Amino acid sequence: MLRKALLISPEICIGCRGCQIACKEWNNLPADETKNEGTLENPSDLTPNLYNKVRFIEVPSETTPLRWLFVSQRCMHCDDAGCITICPAPGALFKTKEGAVAYDKDKCIGCKLCASACPFNIPRFDKNDKISKCHLCSDRISEGLSPACAKTCPTGAIRYGQRDEIISNSQKEGYEKLYGQADLGGLGVLYAFKDAPKIYGMDEQPAVPETVLLWHNVLKPLSYLGLGGAVAASLLHYIAFKPKKDEEDK
Amino acid sequence: MSNNMIRKASAFEILNHWVLALSFFVLMISGFGFLFHLEGLNSVFGSFNQMKAVHNYIGIVFTVSLLLTVFYYLPVSLKFSGDDITWFLKGGGYFSKKTETPPQDKLNAGQKLYYIFILIAGIAIAATGFIMWLRPPLADIRKWILISHFLHNISFDFMVIAMPFHVYLATLANPGTLRIMVYGTVPIEWAKKRHGKWVKRAE
Amino acid sequence: MTNHWIDVKNSDVILVMGGNPAENHPVSMKWIMNAKEKGAKLIVVDPRFTRTAAKADIYASIRSGTDIAFLGGMIKYILDNKLYFREYVVNYTNASYLVNPEFKMPGELDGVFSGYDPAARKYDKKTWSYQLDENSIPKKEPALKDPNCVFRLLKKHYSRYTLDTVSAITGTPKEKLIEVYKAFSSTGKPDRAGTELYAMGWTQHTVGTQNIRAMAIIQLLLGNIGIAGGGINALRGESNVQGSTDHGILFHILPGYLPAPTATLSDLKTYIEKHTPKTKDPKSVNWWGNRGKYITSYLKAIYGDKAAKDNDFGYAWLPKLDEGMNASWLMLFDHMLKGKFDGFFAWGQNPACSTSNANKVRKALSKLKWMVNVNLFDNETGSFWKGPGMNPKDIQTEVFQLPACSCVEKEGSITNSGRLAQWRYKAIEPIGQTKPDSEIMNELYFRVKRLYQRHGGKFPEPILNLSWRYGTKDSDGRIKKVDTHLAAREINGYYLEDIYDKTADPPKLIGKKGELCTNFVTLQADGTTSCGNWIYSGSYTQKDGKVINMMARTKKSDPTGLGLYPKWAWCWPLNRRILYNRASVDPKGMPWDIKRGVIKWSLTKLNPQTNKPGIWEGDVPDGPAPPMADEKAGKYPFIMRPDGMGAIFGPGLADGPFPEHYEPLECPLSENPMSKKQRINPTVKLFYTDKNSLAEDIYANNDSRYPIVATTYRVTEHWQTGVLSRHIPLLLETVPQQFVELSKELAKEKGIKNGDKVNVASLRGKVWAVAFVTERFKPFKIMGKTVHQIGMPYHFGWQFPEDGSAGDSANLLSPTIGDANTMIPETKAFMVNIEKA
Repeated sequence: MLRKALLISPEICIGCRGCQIACKEWNNLPADETKNEGTLENPSDLTPNLYNKVRFIEVPSETTPLRWLFVSQRCMHCDDAGCITICPAPGALFKTKEGAVAYDKDKCIGCKLCASACPFNIPRFDKNDKISKCHLCSDRISEGLSPACAKTCPTGAIRYGQRDEIISNSQKEGYEKLYGQADLGGLGVLYAFKDAPKIYGMDEQPAVPETVLLWHNVLKPLSYLGLGGAVAASLLHYIAFKPKKDEEDK
Repeated sequence: MSNNMIRKASAFEILNHWVLALSFFVLMISGFGFLFHLEGLNSVFGSFNQMKAVHNYIGIVFTVSLLLTVFYYLPVSLKFSGDDITWFLKGGGYFSKKTETPPQDKLNAGQKLYYIFILIAGIAIAATGFIMWLRPPLADIRKWILISHFLHNISFDFMVIAMPFHVYLATLANPGTLRIMVYGTVPIEWAKKRHGKWVKRAE
Repeated sequence: MTNHWIDVKNSDVILVMGGNPAENHPVSMKWIMNAKEKGAKLIVVDPRFTRTAAKADIYASIRSGTDIAFLGGMIKYILDNKLYFREYVVNYTNASYLVNPEFKMPGELDGVFSGYDPAARKYDKKTWSYQLDENSIPKKEPALKDPNCVFRLLKKHYSRYTLDTVSAITGTPKEKLIEVYKAFSSTGKPDRAGTELYAMGWTQHTVGTQNIRAMAIIQLLLGNIGIAGGGINALRGESNVQGSTDHGILFHILPGYLPAPTATLSDLKTYIEKHTPKTKDPKSVNWWGNRGKYITSYLKAIYGDKAAKDNDFGYAWLPKLDEGMNASWLMLFDHMLKGKFDGFFAWGQNPACSTSNANKVRKALSKLKWMVNVNLFDNETGSFWKGPGMNPKDIQTEVFQLPACSCVEKEGSITNSGRLAQWRYKAIEPIGQTKPDSEIMNELYFRVKRLYQRHGGKFPEPILNLSWRYGTKDSDGRIKKVDTHLAAREINGYYLEDIYDKTADPPKLIGKKGELCTNFVTLQADGTTSCGNWIYSGSYTQKDGKVINMMARTKKSDPTGLGLYPKWAWCWPLNRRILYNRASVDPKGMPWDIKRGVIKWSLTKLNPQTNKPGIWEGDVPDGPAPPMADEKAGKYPFIMRPDGMGAIFGPGLADGPFPEHYEPLECPLSENPMSKKQRINPTVKLFYTDKNSLAEDIYANNDSRYPIVATTYRVTEHWQTGVLSRHIPLLLETVPQQFVELSKELAKEKGIKNGDKVNVASLRGKVWAVAFVTERFKPFKIMGKTVHQIGMPYHFGWQFPEDGSAGDSANLLSPTIGDANTMIPETKAFMVNIEKA
């Protein structure tokens, strides 16, 4: 199966937050208790009960009082997913056949390392310390449906489809390169930005933290190679030199 | 104590050694389990969730045990003399049956250095382990966790490499050593050869 | 809507003014963004930089309540720069009509039109008339040069709306005005379409009707009425508000916009006489000439066999208004507070939060003997007696709470803003003891009927004679279960006899006795047809004996490519998707813009009705008659108007044939910059006139204690007074509390920081809110002085959440005053002060 993806187009997002609510309804997520804190953005950040949130970004403008940008923020479903790389529990975080980074709460051991390895700071943890984040409605997409957010979006600011088709269509529409097209092996959530990603609070070049890569590529193999090597060296020494026996001195 | 034997380790030291060793092995095995998703370990630990709990709590045992060694290993390990340097220059006498090494204290130069490294690595692995486990409320906790994760694994690598040498040197390489961690006593003659300074002082 | 939701995608320029579709009609943004993707320009004019403004190509800020000044400036711009669509204006509007030379305008009469009676606050409209020819048809001057022609008068009237004046009134910078005017008036060409989307931002003003009138004039000048991508489109505030007005839920109309009878119209003949416009112009269809058919069929629908020719079809049983009686929303509570009511049904509403000057409403409720609150949840209305400032011991009102079920628990039709009636099915059974409204009404009807039967009464006939055929009657004559299909059929209407077209020779059978009517064209004035609502006739019909619920159709075909989807549900009238579509073609019947042709007169095809070549293709036309240029049978496009013309001159309204800028009841100015003597709309009903008036109705103008302009609005995340949305935890999570948006400049002046709790007060009330200090509001420069504006949603109330954490309604602040024509309260512009709590 070809990889699936979401295309998020902030240019046509109207900030209605239908995606935010539809996500919570589909995933049976309870409401968080919130308070107004001087912004329409509530809750102010992703929570274990909020997989997808629309961020409202105010940018100065010369022609209008401001520019008000809306963008959906959630798990990016990286191909090179730092969370999966670092996860110590087999089967806790995994990739579905559609390319979604999904998880099994039963297998999650609650170590929360994924939160640090994620270049986008996405994973949150429920009251049992189990990972909680967007899984691209893996239960819906496996049945051929689109994720709840894409299904509910009135303007088409969130679209779901074949990843390669999304990319080629966007190129036809004049987007030279989508955000996430090549980053991290290619993201499963692509953004059609007309501005610098920085304006939307996104890293220009998101990457899995270097320590995670170094750990994965060097420290991990070194552990068993080192252990084996040390045992082998000891045995070699034993064969080569034999132990000193006190009697031999005599 | 019989006349030709000398006590090298107290009962407490022996007990603590085996507590440390055992906890180390549990941590190492589960550590490998986490690193390489060794699901076969479920037959031992039940599940990865339980293995994580075991790893965490045995980590406390390991840490306490390690810190207790400070009282009896650290003072002597910090006393370095010219003899220790000579000992190192001669490779501890392990690479030739003919080499004569200078007289050593209760711990020989190699043991001292080994202990210091193990202590440092042990403290590092414990501290980073606790940071990852308990996630102190720091502003940039995600970075702290990453650093901890990295150091934890460096220490882990160091320890799993060091461990076989320790076992080898205490058993096959030096017959008669193991009994220290069983009975606590060694023959005086055996001790004089290896820890001349200490025996002299003890007499 | 003249057009419909999907049609917005056909526009070249979309003006959103008086509305905020991104927040209140999010789905419409699909079509707006669709148009934008094809190159359309989106213009947003709003006091606040809204989520819609965030998507705009041009945003212009405007002080609340100054839309007529803004639009008047646009009319002047269009006329000065000759950007109007001349052929359209001359042929399809009353621009060429010659007006009574006695007619005088505010520029000449210190802010009022001729005929004003200041004591009665009313106009004598004698001079607002046309010069008539010998056939009583208005005289025309198609060159548009006569100083008394509508076009010249229009030009003269709006010559006063110069950029400088408009800018000083609205606070909109001059260059923004020009930018907007230029962009929108670019649609005055045959191949360009401009639409306007408005909502309560236009209606909830003392000049609400005239706001829309001003835009209607612009759209007629630009030739934007009747075409795809054009029109004036009211975005209704609730999913079925269109349906509720269609079905006569307002005090002044019966279903189908038949005027409510008044006591002076003592019999049906007089009623029909009074309400049936006449014309001698053979080219005018004058559709309201059919009034008699519709009112008679309506009476037959509700009174059935009891309605007969010899009893005037039961006309006497209809409730009557006293002549000149104002039974509008604001008046109900005014009377209630004065103790003129015993009981009140608050049915699916929450006036204790939704009504302007809500404190007055809450107090008025306490004067009732009883109140029935029919709702999904208890609300601030049902529990008013334990609300803030109330002492339950002093309140004698007995409150009955009837739990209603939600829309997904019942079957029926719903009519959206685009007049599209769609059938909705029941998804689940009603929860607990809740009932559909129709079942509650049914129960109520039979109980009231039994009371009349047992005890008699002053006037039992209106109840006893109702036919009430909405289900199977059991042995004691009661209906146990309401069948909404039967109601829908009654609305569509039946042939009560075999109906013949008597003009044909031999007479041709139109409909068989007992069958459902085909459409309203077949309705009769002699009692041989019944129809509950003539505009819905054709919605539930019968073809070859087979009954078809047209509203339940779901075919997704779009033959024109314009998004008309003629086989999706059903649209009144006659499934016509774009009203006044005869104006979308030239007098010969060819679309002004062939790419966007709504209808087209095709001479190559044979008309089966007339057996002559010539037939309309495309949307259902506004009548089958040939286009206007046809010498013999051609008809004018605006068939609902007696003269068949789009009304640039509109003498029907209470406050003037041309919109004139008047200040809101409460404004930051001591006088109206347009006309010093007349600050507010001269024809609004003033509630507070002197010290003997109710203290609740007090207002403050140009008062230094209340120097800040305020407006109310809704956010995407909540609905109306929040009775439905506040009970949904997911929605409360997104917007949990009352807030007030204010500019950084005002916040600095008042020492308010973002997120601070503040108090907002008017002369009538006070509410707390969390301050959102934002760039979305900017101070205005009005007549040289700095004027601040703030805005608050009205979604919150003290009753839920029960801990009071959400705050209370912003309508505690707004005044008691309504539009001169509709009495819609002015909640979009009033004066407050704001202080840190």
